[in-house]
Amino acid sequence: MSWRIARTLSATLYAEVAFQAIYGLRSGNLLSERTPPSVATAVSRVRQSKILISFLLALVALAVPALLGGPFERIAAPQLPVGLYRASVLAALLVIDLALVWWTGLQVLPTLLGARVQSLLETLPLDPRTLDRTALLTTLRLFDAPIATVMVVTPLVVGLAFGSVWAALAILPGAAMVLLVAVALSLATGRFYVQRVQGSGGGRWATGLRWFYLVLWTLPAFALFGFVTFSPQFFTELDTLYVNGQIVALTTLLATFPFPLAELPLYTPGQLAPEVSALPILALAAVYLLLMVPLALWMRAAPRALARDVPAAALTAGGFVPTLRGRSLVLAVLEKDLRTASRTPGFAFLLLLPILDAVAIGLWSFLGQPTPGNVLTVGAAAVGSSALLATFFAPAFFAIEVFGFAYTRSLPLPREDLLTGKIALVLAIYLASSSIVLGLTAAAIPTVYVVTSFAFFALAELPAILAAALLEFTILFRRAATTGLPITSLYAGAGWVLAVSIPGLFLAGAPLVSFEYLRNGAHLGFGLLPVMAAIALLELAVVAPAALKVLGRGSL
Amino acid sequence: MPAEGSSAGAPLCIESLVVEYGARRAVDHLSLTVGPGEIYGLLGSNGAGKSSTLKAVVGLLRPARGRVTVFGTDPQLDGVSAKQQLGYVSETPLLYDALTPREFLEFVASVRRLPAAEATARAGTFAAALQVEPEYDRPLGTLSNGTRQKILLIAAFLHSPGLLVLDEPLSNLDPRSVRIIKDLLKAYVADGRRGVLLSTHAMEVAERLCTRVGILDAGVLRGEGTLAELRSAVARGDVSLEEIFLALTREDGAVRAAVRSLGDLR
Repeated sequence: MSWRIARTLSATLYAEVAFQAIYGLRSGNLLSERTPPSVATAVSRVRQSKILISFLLALVALAVPALLGGPFERIAAPQLPVGLYRASVLAALLVIDLALVWWTGLQVLPTLLGARVQSLLETLPLDPRTLDRTALLTTLRLFDAPIATVMVVTPLVVGLAFGSVWAALAILPGAAMVLLVAVALSLATGRFYVQRVQGSGGGRWATGLRWFYLVLWTLPAFALFGFVTFSPQFFTELDTLYVNGQIVALTTLLATFPFPLAELPLYTPGQLAPEVSALPILALAAVYLLLMVPLALWMRAAPRALARDVPAAALTAGGFVPTLRGRSLVLAVLEKDLRTASRTPGFAFLLLLPILDAVAIGLWSFLGQPTPGNVLTVGAAAVGSSALLATFFAPAFFAIEVFGFAYTRSLPLPREDLLTGKIALVLAIYLASSSIVLGLTAAAIPTVYVVTSFAFFALAELPAILAAALLEFTILFRRAATTGLPITSLYAGAGWVLAVSIPGLFLAGAPLVSFEYLRNGAHLGFGLLPVMAAIALLELAVVAPAALKVLGRGSL
Repeated sequence: MPAEGSSAGAPLCIESLVVEYGARRAVDHLSLTVGPGEIYGLLGSNGAGKSSTLKAVVGLLRPARGRVTVFGTDPQLDGVSAKQQLGYVSETPLLYDALTPREFLEFVASVRRLPAAEATARAGTFAAALQVEPEYDRPLGTLSNGTRQKILLIAAFLHSPGLLVLDEPLSNLDPRSVRIIKDLLKAYVADGRRGVLLSTHAMEVAERLCTRVGILDAGVLRGEGTLAELRSAVARGDVSLEEIFLALTREDGAVRAAVRSLGDLR
């Protein structure tokens, strides 16, 4: 009975969450006079975004048959026994699923909390058990499509790759467990958000703590990105561990969650076992299964507890100091966006991913003692991916405006200053990433030629980043002026992120692709930097006047 | 720079304003003027079009028809200049939840290009008067609606605007703060240059605070004037504003019927 009521109530609450995700009225967005809000539209757009996430999950899973059974098996890890290699591929798939669903949770939970649906529910004459179940089902509805995708597509691709129904069934416990862990991690990190960040105010300590948590939040996305980027190196490392007989390291890896669960299909009839005794693997899988029991029990009440958590508000230290600092208009916009982003997981991820990407690629490559010959390739990859990430996420920086938009629009904020502030944010992220790679380059190969050339490389790309950001923000400003503020969060407008980002990615990517193409053909290396700079400047020269004309003057 | 009485013309002039949400008309050919030194109260039932009118005035909504000018400037044509001259308090104090009041006021002061010393002095005085100092460094999302409304009021007064547009400004405040704001508003317009447009449900507020009152019903202005002028309009002497409101909106009979039906439930 209680589940039935909970299911009915959660359907209503979910519609409200979708409504708030799309229209953001409870976050201070403005009701558009041109496009009246509609619950059906909101639910439909959230569904589209969920399908997009599910498509990503399915895409990752569909890579599995290509990695198994073909020639890739012998290339990636030539010495590793085939069974162990196959188990590693399945473990990698489960880790990616875990990271992607956890990341999705981090993006979605602030929307769930911001919709404040639980407070409406708590006033109803319902017993605590029904309230717990309603909160749980409402939360799970946010993950329904990704969960269904993982539970259907994973056994399907494993069954196809191994040619066995038993293998397909054997991966199901692993798939279910990574989903449970991912949702639990989302809820646990969500509680950190409410308890430690949402209520934290100004001051150095609070700011430091906040940025620490931001890095923590970025980890799942970064793990996902890193795993996809570095998977060839992962298999090479695994191969090396096996060849060198590093038993402790290898055993630890094989025992780590979710590896034992990924090995289960290998022990089904007709499969090539991974040269590891089945007993300890099955025992470990059983231990992990047992550990899921308390986790599942915790999950029953966690969503409601999360919704009822009260932010630990920061106290004003010492006496009241009313001092307000003056800022230029552009800097005020930039600072507001940075402050908002640093207290909102979804936006924090956007800020930090390009920077962490540069750190990781830089460290990985430059600690491996690069030569002046390959430094450009590594540097170009790091700066290039930072450039593309910075421009890909630009629409989301615009969506920061949804917070308090109804108020912001009453301020005399010239459109061009708001645009400059947003573009400054994109450029700041790109320059921070490039500086990190430049610093690592200088540390690895401290020659004036390499460092100067690399600095020129980063600067040559800069006009293209500016052109891409200008184009994307102009499209978004136009849309805001005509049909209301486009909200481009993960569950509210993933389609819009893609639609706006693709022309931006084209502009940001053209000089990089041209550079690579010409370099491979002409073997000129750094000598091609003027060509790259010329392409970037040409893009800016074409885009800037057109964008500024379309944008026009006035306020938002 | 502060916009204190800096432009020519009346603080606010609305001519034949129409606001529509899709097919629904929220404001229907509304015309009114807020003169210098005037506190104009817009009264109306829920959904009468008060907030939509105020949003059109501050440039949040684009009118379907009609014209709004703030000291002679149309917010639709020159939004930046018009918005420099007004301060706005929204109906629901939904702000940047992630910012603290200090950070929010810094942002507003920077957008309004106020010198830091002047902004600090004004914000500090208001914060002390409205007793929000202990909340100055807590995120707005963690504060009560009343405190957030106080922060919005401080932001609205920060640059001494020529026109204050206040949407139910007292609805969430404690009695002490209500009294302070009411007295402040009277003093604010006393120089005869600035004006205030406020919407309210509270007849007592309109009766005691407003120099003129407009009664809005289903987007249409049913009556306008001083209390004395409205009394003569309904041809009844010495009646309260509440009775005038009900008479002009033709709701007095419906109210009596509703009270009777509810009485049956006792």
